[in-house]
Amino acid sequence: MVFSDPILLGCLLTVFLPLSAFALIMIFTRDNPKLSLAISLVAATIPLIIAWTFFFKLGGRAPIIYNFDWMVSDLVKVPFGFLLDPTSLVMFVIVATISWLVQVYSIGYMAGDPGFGRYYADLSLFALAMLTLVISSGLLQLYIAWELVGLASYLLIGFWYEKFSASEAGKKAFVVTRFGDIGFFMGLVFLVIFYGSLDIATVNSAAVANSMPPWLITTSGLLIFCGVMGKSAQFPLHVWLPDAMEGPTPVSALLHSATMVAAGVFLMTRIFPFFAASATTMTVILAISTLTLILSSTIALAATDIKQVWAYSTVSQLGFMAMGLAAAALASGTLFAGYYHLTTHAAFKALLFLCSGVFIHHFGTNDFFTMATQGGRKLVIPMACITIAALALAGIFPFAGFFSKELILTALAHLDNKLWLVLGLFGAFLTAYYSFRVIFVMLFPKSPEAYSKVPGHIAHVEDEAHGHGAHGHADDAHGHGHDEHHGVPWVMIFPLLVLASFTLILGFCQDYLEKLLLGASHPHAMNYFLLVAAVGCALSGIALAWLDWGRKDAKCVGFISRFPALQTFFIQKWYMDHFWRWFLNRFIYGIFSKWFTYNDRRVVDGGVDAVAFSTVGSGRLLSFIQTAFLQYNLLFMVVVLAGVGIYLMMGR
Amino acid sequence: MQLPILSILIFLPIVGIGILLILDRKHHKGLKYATLAISLVEFLVSLPLWFNFNSQTAAMQFVEHREWLPTYGISYYVGIDGFSLLLIMLTTFLTPLCVLATWDDIQHRVKEFMVCLLALMSGMIGVFVSLDLFLFYVFWEVMLIPMYLLIGVWGNPARRVYAAIKFFLFTMFGSLLMLVAILVLYFHYGKTTGTYTFDLLKMYGVSIPFNMQFWMFLAFGLAFAIKVPMFPFHTWLPDAHTEAPTVGSVILAAVLLKMGTYGFLRFNMPMFPEAAHYFVPLFSILALIGIVYGALVSMMQKDLKRLIAFSSVSHLGFVMLGLFTFTMPGVQGGIIQMINHGLSTGALFLIVGMIYERRHTRMISEFGGLCTPMPVFAIIFMIVTLSSIGLPGLNGFVGEFLILLGTFQVNKLYATIAATGVIFAACYMLWMFQRVVFGKVTNDKNKDLKDLSWREIAIFAPLILFIVWIGVYPSTFLDKTKASTENFLAMMAKAKSTQVSQSHVFKGEAQ
Repeated sequence: MVFSDPILLGCLLTVFLPLSAFALIMIFTRDNPKLSLAISLVAATIPLIIAWTFFFKLGGRAPIIYNFDWMVSDLVKVPFGFLLDPTSLVMFVIVATISWLVQVYSIGYMAGDPGFGRYYADLSLFALAMLTLVISSGLLQLYIAWELVGLASYLLIGFWYEKFSASEAGKKAFVVTRFGDIGFFMGLVFLVIFYGSLDIATVNSAAVANSMPPWLITTSGLLIFCGVMGKSAQFPLHVWLPDAMEGPTPVSALLHSATMVAAGVFLMTRIFPFFAASATTMTVILAISTLTLILSSTIALAATDIKQVWAYSTVSQLGFMAMGLAAAALASGTLFAGYYHLTTHAAFKALLFLCSGVFIHHFGTNDFFTMATQGGRKLVIPMACITIAALALAGIFPFAGFFSKELILTALAHLDNKLWLVLGLFGAFLTAYYSFRVIFVMLFPKSPEAYSKVPGHIAHVEDEAHGHGAHGHADDAHGHGHDEHHGVPWVMIFPLLVLASFTLILGFCQDYLEKLLLGASHPHAMNYFLLVAAVGCALSGIALAWLDWGRKDAKCVGFISRFPALQTFFIQKWYMDHFWRWFLNRFIYGIFSKWFTYNDRRVVDGGVDAVAFSTVGSGRLLSFIQTAFLQYNLLFMVVVLAGVGIYLMMGR
Repeated sequence: MQLPILSILIFLPIVGIGILLILDRKHHKGLKYATLAISLVEFLVSLPLWFNFNSQTAAMQFVEHREWLPTYGISYYVGIDGFSLLLIMLTTFLTPLCVLATWDDIQHRVKEFMVCLLALMSGMIGVFVSLDLFLFYVFWEVMLIPMYLLIGVWGNPARRVYAAIKFFLFTMFGSLLMLVAILVLYFHYGKTTGTYTFDLLKMYGVSIPFNMQFWMFLAFGLAFAIKVPMFPFHTWLPDAHTEAPTVGSVILAAVLLKMGTYGFLRFNMPMFPEAAHYFVPLFSILALIGIVYGALVSMMQKDLKRLIAFSSVSHLGFVMLGLFTFTMPGVQGGIIQMINHGLSTGALFLIVGMIYERRHTRMISEFGGLCTPMPVFAIIFMIVTLSSIGLPGLNGFVGEFLILLGTFQVNKLYATIAATGVIFAACYMLWMFQRVVFGKVTNDKNKDLKDLSWREIAIFAPLILFIVWIGVYPSTFLDKTKASTENFLAMMAKAKSTQVSQSHVFKGEAQ
């Protein structure tokens, strides 16, 4: 049956190839880098081919669904299956492509790392989890894959496990996202008990047909959104994402574009009709995502670590996507704006990280001021690519980001309350500013002294403990020193070129994608005011960045330094990390755990110990003649049994 | 004629004890091989139970019924249904692994140790198959002694006596009350029907006035709640676990604690259904406190074994919560969670035992960076840790999912509180894992630790097989318990309809 149906076979291969790659490498070939790489690449290439074939062959067709029984209990029937419809197909292609590119790129980046085999095993696990998530037909299966994505991120973020901060960051990512996942899980339980099905297609059509009670949609929608908040790093659960850069840079690229964080937004599009059916849910989402956008853009203004800048920009763009989806739902629009931004963002954010990876690999630091002063712009191709990606991020025509941002802003403009639009535009302005802050510093470096006033920047090149240490592991192993400035290997350049061309092309695929996703493309009435406003915001952001960082006699301090209080606030990341740390230490550990432990030792045990200690005395006595234990116990038993006997006699 | 498999399972270890007694006490390897062989045969004998088990019926199977002391209505009456099947399989499956784990661990008084182990095995099987209250009580008590000896003789010298006596006192206290309750039940049955018997299945049918049920439920419940252990009777557990030798902890966690939950399922609830319904809030809340409390206290532990012991309190809280929902997913989830806890926590104690053998300490702060010298160990440790925190795809998730689903049907607040336990589990387990396995090797003593030997890998391989199997395809196991659970729920549902009026009666009397 399986072999007669090529589509089912394709789906199964997509799931089982990465799974077997993970198992094979972990069990057998961990110590053989070449073989591990080969296994992993095969298991990534075949799903890539399958994804693109499906995309072109099945794009316009009706959804294809396969279901198999997995766990059957009285009222819960949990099927395991695949759902191939436009929403999943597009994401399928994105995930397969980017994870393939990252695997290729890592050949160069991770070369010589002692954990090379393990790295590829973890990447395969990541691919397995994310691909299953994308094509799963039921929400519980999606949830399972969702958790596996979390596991894979945990393993990859903490990949350099010898570094305390790395394993700490991995744990943080896992625990924080799990915090949100509990909400997700409870949402699913609500759905299965009060509606009875977790099948994605059924849930969606029920929400559209109004056959679900509204309170249920709102409650479980909000709960499921908790999961999205965790995975897609929305306020206040965004704290794990910036720390996640402790992992190798290609992993960050994967994490920030197509897998981990994209999972949350993908879930929103996956059950978009369901979410959209509740205006309350959508308003909450809109508020949270807007807050996220502003918060993360302002933090990115003050960051000096190149990966941190892009990390916060991911948080802000995710907020932007969620805003687009929420606004569209409130104004009875479609999921296209948010989904499209997810697509373009996947391309340019992966590009940004992979380019940064080249610089980090080359200079052994994460500080982009240091990279700039050491001649980062001499790496022509990565420099060109990172500029393209930054242009896309800032939303400049004709790069992909321009088109998708425009759509989201249009969706925001449809709302009655224009405040959302203004905040969205403000976010766009900040985004343009901080991304070009990086670009201008890299393109037009000043003398190292000029940057000495930048807070957080470590002025001395020698003192690069935090930057170099980030992957000192890799460097030690293959003796990649500073005098050995070899060229960047082609395996690292090739993915950059592919992604850069996607960044250039994707903007012009808007109609094609819209037709594919929605069945019909609606010609957009150009809102010229909005167009001017958006481009104006982006350009003024870039201009301000030029004034602050780019021009010859720039002061290199940033406009924000005029407001020292605000600057500190932003550098301290709105004190969100402090808040959580305080919350954990003060309440969970300080009060509950401590008090309970005390209670256990003193109060609950106290009464018992009074009895026990008196017995210990006799126990000690007995321990002189240790063999007497057996007799003692047998005696006890005999007494008990005799007691039973006496009871029985009396009963007669 | 059918082979009396259950009797063979009970008496084979006793025959084994006889064989061991003949063997030379100085020949340690020989004793260990003999015990291993006996436990393997035991496992093979138990396999037909699994394959010939008819999962369509809730009736007792493989029944053997012989008169023992007919004057008192005591009979040798054994049989199994879906509930006991899984627990018996768990017992026979784990024992050979435990014997393997003693290979290097136990070096003095080997003969006595093996005798204790086999006696324990016989007792455990006996508890799970008895359908006669008297027989059950005998096995229940018999089992205490070898366990007491395991802790008291082979435990950690410093505090083993304290821990052993604490264990013994707690359990003994509960079981004495249970004994009284059994006798009361016996006479009540005799008075109402005219025949005196300890036959459990007949007890199911007899109607007991509610106020009597009330006290009987508490008496039985206390014995079982101590064994589970439920908050606030859990304090013997961390001490017993910490002081016991590795194998003692494994058996204690994997099988002995299950006797408490099994007792609720087999004795307490079906015999006193009205009282069971009446006590749902009390026991659910105690279970919830156990879940959260156990998890929070785990966070503060510095000793690996204590941490795992408190995590057991939390996990068994889940089981109790599930059983007291009286819903299909809740009860089935509770049963599957018993097995899960047996596998995962058993494996965790084995893991701790293995590093204890190498380093002779269990303090978390003494470790760090074990990933470098012991990569295979780290992988196994990780799988087990993830299984224990309920990662989907591994066994823990299935149990927790079903339990939460069942709880949610009954009470949304309970389910929400229980769900927080899942987050805490991730916190403390990952914290422990990080401190032990990740980071640089800071302690020189950890630098040259030997990775797992083939023997040790062979212990974990079957455990991990089932950890993954239950996680990936739980239907294999859920199917076996389906009919029994349906039957159990039907019994409970019948009682529920009469419950309201009877609780009125009770309240009327109380006033």
